[in-house]
Amino acid sequence: MMGVRFDPRTKLLLLLLCVICTMFAPSLRYELVLVCLIAVFSLLSGQFGHAFMGTLFYGMIYAGTLLSVTKMTGTTQAIFAAFLGLVNKVYPCGFMAGLMIKTTKTGEFMAAFYKIHIPNRIVIPFAVMLRYLPVVKEDWHYIKDAMRMRDISPSIKNICLRPIMVAECLYVPLMMAASNTADELSIAAVTRGIENPNPRTSLAQIKFLLRDLIAVFAFSIYLVIGLIGMV
Amino acid sequence: MGNQTRTNKKGLSIKDLVTIGIFTALLFVTMLVGGIVFAPNPVLTFYMPLGAALLGGPVMMLLIAKVPKSGAIAIAGILCGVIWFATGMHWAMDLGYIVGGIIGDLIAGIGKYKNKFLNMLAFICLSLGATGTYICYFANRNTWSNYMLNGGTSKSYIDAMNTAAKNWMLAVILIGTVVVAGMSAWIGSILLKKQFEKAGITA
Repeated sequence: MMGVRFDPRTKLLLLLLCVICTMFAPSLRYELVLVCLIAVFSLLSGQFGHAFMGTLFYGMIYAGTLLSVTKMTGTTQAIFAAFLGLVNKVYPCGFMAGLMIKTTKTGEFMAAFYKIHIPNRIVIPFAVMLRYLPVVKEDWHYIKDAMRMRDISPSIKNICLRPIMVAECLYVPLMMAASNTADELSIAAVTRGIENPNPRTSLAQIKFLLRDLIAVFAFSIYLVIGLIGMV
Repeated sequence: MGNQTRTNKKGLSIKDLVTIGIFTALLFVTMLVGGIVFAPNPVLTFYMPLGAALLGGPVMMLLIAKVPKSGAIAIAGILCGVIWFATGMHWAMDLGYIVGGIIGDLIAGIGKYKNKFLNMLAFICLSLGATGTYICYFANRNTWSNYMLNGGTSKSYIDAMNTAAKNWMLAVILIGTVVVAGMSAWIGSILLKKQFEKAGITA
């Protein structure tokens, strides 16, 4: 991967700053600049495609918002304003979060979590959860295939005609598989010494460097600008 | 599990933590699948918590049955909040899940995590977390969209806003979420009894 590597903690901090920024955003233009700022950060991290698509998509939302605010009237305007308000409040954070997920490996996340002293009982389930999410998708495909073989595929027709049957055939194997995986994974984790009381070491070296400081500083300044309401 | 719980005798063992992680992943997927139908639709977006609560009941009931210890539901709630935060959702929803999970844990704890009714109530509490965003909206709905208009809010706009988003909508969202979550958890407890207890995978 090209570009500058940032500390995972920096990215978490920036995400938090983004949330606060959108919470107090005084105007739509402020949001636009925020999105551009994230796009710059994205470019620095070497994610050109992400920056381009994200900005383009926000441009469309921005245009849509302007259009709905100026052109629509009455109830439709109110509905769209409420909805787009939500979208606008969420979008910059989602943009930032997507970048964070794309550029950070699970190991780095874990190392960062240990460094900011989050207790084990949060970190371990979190790591397992991240590891298990793709498996759910995989399981889902297997279950669907198996159901189709027995002529109870989760199609709209079957869901309407035999909802209980379909639900049962989905939940039972999915949760059985999850339950078995829980047993296997915990044995595997214990074998690899997860119960070791000593501080955990990590291959992923994470350090808070000058570039991290600059990134956090830039976003903080922008937050302060927003709070004063200069844009 | 005698040896494995040695370092963590009273609280949650490693196996419990792994189980919580896996079931929270499932819970998150059910929220995603249920909510995705509602969220991108301007008219239905307000009813997202109902969709998110629809499918998670059985997962939650099995989780409580597998890990009947204090902390399990709270951790599930915290993880949901964290992962929603990490995907960039509105802060009130993230906070809602964390608070809902902790309250749910306390409620289920009254019945030592064995009382079916209290466990259902715990899932309802967790599901109510998703309504945080909308409570935020209704608490302050006139300023919610103001920034899009650069502060220039017209009288007609506020009137239209008030007719489109009436106060009863919040009641519908809250009560609807309670009903849907309750139903989901009830179905979950039936499934639990019919399938999982027989299979012997509950703790």
